[in-house]
Amino acid sequence: MRGYGKAIAVVAVVVWSVFPVYWALNTSFTTTSAAESVPAHFVPLPFTAHNYSTLIGQTGTQGVSYQFTRSFLNATIESGLATILTVATALFAAYAFARLEFRFKRLILFGTLATLMLPAYATLIPLYRIMSSVGLVNTYPGIVLVYSSGFLPLAIWILYNYFASIPRELEEAAFVDGATPVVALLRVIIPVSTPGIAATAIIVFLMGWAQFIFPLVLSSDLSTQPLTVVVAALYGQRIVPFTLLNAIGVLAAALPGIIALALNRYIVQGVMAGSIK
Amino acid sequence: MQRDHDASPRDGRAKRGRRGRWLPYILLSPLILFIGALSLYPTILTTVQSFYIVSPLNPPTRFAGLSNFRAVLSDPTIRQSWVNTALYIVIGVVLTTLLGLGMALVLQRRFRWRGAILALVVLPWALPAVVEAVIWGWIYDPTFGVLNSVLKSLGVITHYQVWVGIHRLLSIFFIELVQVWQIAPLAALLILAALQSIPDELYEAARVDGAGRWQQFRRITLPLVRPGLAIAMVQSLILSLNIFDQVYVLNGNAPNGASIMMQTYNVSFVNLNFGQGYALSLMATLATLVLSLLILAAVYRRVEF
Repeated sequence: MRGYGKAIAVVAVVVWSVFPVYWALNTSFTTTSAAESVPAHFVPLPFTAHNYSTLIGQTGTQGVSYQFTRSFLNATIESGLATILTVATALFAAYAFARLEFRFKRLILFGTLATLMLPAYATLIPLYRIMSSVGLVNTYPGIVLVYSSGFLPLAIWILYNYFASIPRELEEAAFVDGATPVVALLRVIIPVSTPGIAATAIIVFLMGWAQFIFPLVLSSDLSTQPLTVVVAALYGQRIVPFTLLNAIGVLAAALPGIIALALNRYIVQGVMAGSIK
Repeated sequence: MQRDHDASPRDGRAKRGRRGRWLPYILLSPLILFIGALSLYPTILTTVQSFYIVSPLNPPTRFAGLSNFRAVLSDPTIRQSWVNTALYIVIGVVLTTLLGLGMALVLQRRFRWRGAILALVVLPWALPAVVEAVIWGWIYDPTFGVLNSVLKSLGVITHYQVWVGIHRLLSIFFIELVQVWQIAPLAALLILAALQSIPDELYEAARVDGAGRWQQFRRITLPLVRPGLAIAMVQSLILSLNIFDQVYVLNGNAPNGASIMMQTYNVSFVNLNFGQGYALSLMATLATLVLSLLILAAVYRRVEF
């Protein structure tokens, strides 16, 4: 009896977690008339990949297909560059916090981590005005800089904890050979920290991919608008059929979804390492 | 001089002298630049300029005392959005904590496929909130939505309903549910981490003493999982206080379900009244900090084994 109860609980958790995603797939792989049947069809029949072929492989700079491919590219570039910049900056900073002694260390560390408590409100309007005064509104660098400043504290926290868990003896050998701390970081610490760095990079990339309010404010047209901004606009216009909209949703969710499923272990480790203290 | 350095217990490192002393600051300089220019300076700007009239439609920028605060506090639509946000928070924190605790308890024990199921559970957390809102918007659809279809075939409703957009409380509940779907996995992971740090011997000892399952849960699990619960609750509080993406997509510009973040966006970037936007931002930031500390103080207790 208890076995059944537990099985039902597990099934309920899985259905709750997966059903909306299944429903988007189901809708995206069928025709508009089938998707709009009442009561709803729970399997995609008749099956068609038409919505996806409408989005991918079309040429030209018009229409939903172009909006989709361009904003997909923008999101990839912006999140990718922000990930590189954030992780590179965080590696050096986290190493300094974990291994070096210097004045104001605690102040700088706590000051950095305290910004994790700041909600988006605190910086949204000034960041827009700063970026517009230096001419970086609607540019990749403007968006990448804003993303990186937002993601840095979490990246540093995860890497700091990771570095702190590495035994000092590993570097001692390098120091005896006359290595500087920077060499020790590059030759010893970074190679043994690949899982922690991978976890950080994945989390930062996913955060970048999901950004909405900052690019909504900072990008004014399709030259920099990421997928999230375009999806929201298409939903609001109510012109694009829901089958196509769900196909866009599936493709927008595909990259983070696949990363989350494939590299799940790193994410779980990262969340758990970053949060328990 | 040389002797001073040699006396230092920090093995070879002190010998690097001058360059070594500056090294930490060199390594930290990009971070300090980033945080200083793009986090701290903007925060200070928000704080200071909330006392100024700042609007491209009404130049020049000039000191205004408390007038921005008075204006946003007396505006009826903004007032309603505070109440709405309070509702988002209550629904968000309660549902996220309960669901997170439930999922963590289900996933606590080892069983077949546990790893795979954990991966599926984390999935909603990894997807963009905007995309999730679009997907759920279709589920909620008043004419073709699967929610209506299922509830009608179960006999819960007799006609298809408009879930979001007409009835205020329903709108807020269903918009917040989309956020709960996204953030409950995070709560589950945080609580799971706390659960797994409880030593098995405690349960064994309790069983020897004749404690039942409910007693074990009340006397061991719940108190020891408090730090995890506290962090999960603060996380869901901050996220629901800041709810924007789901509201933007599902509620549009209707005042019905507008959150405080939505109104901040409207005031600043639709009405271009940055001064009032700053005032709202400052109040919401302070609310976030104060509420977070209150929850932490109430729920967090140091746990020692």
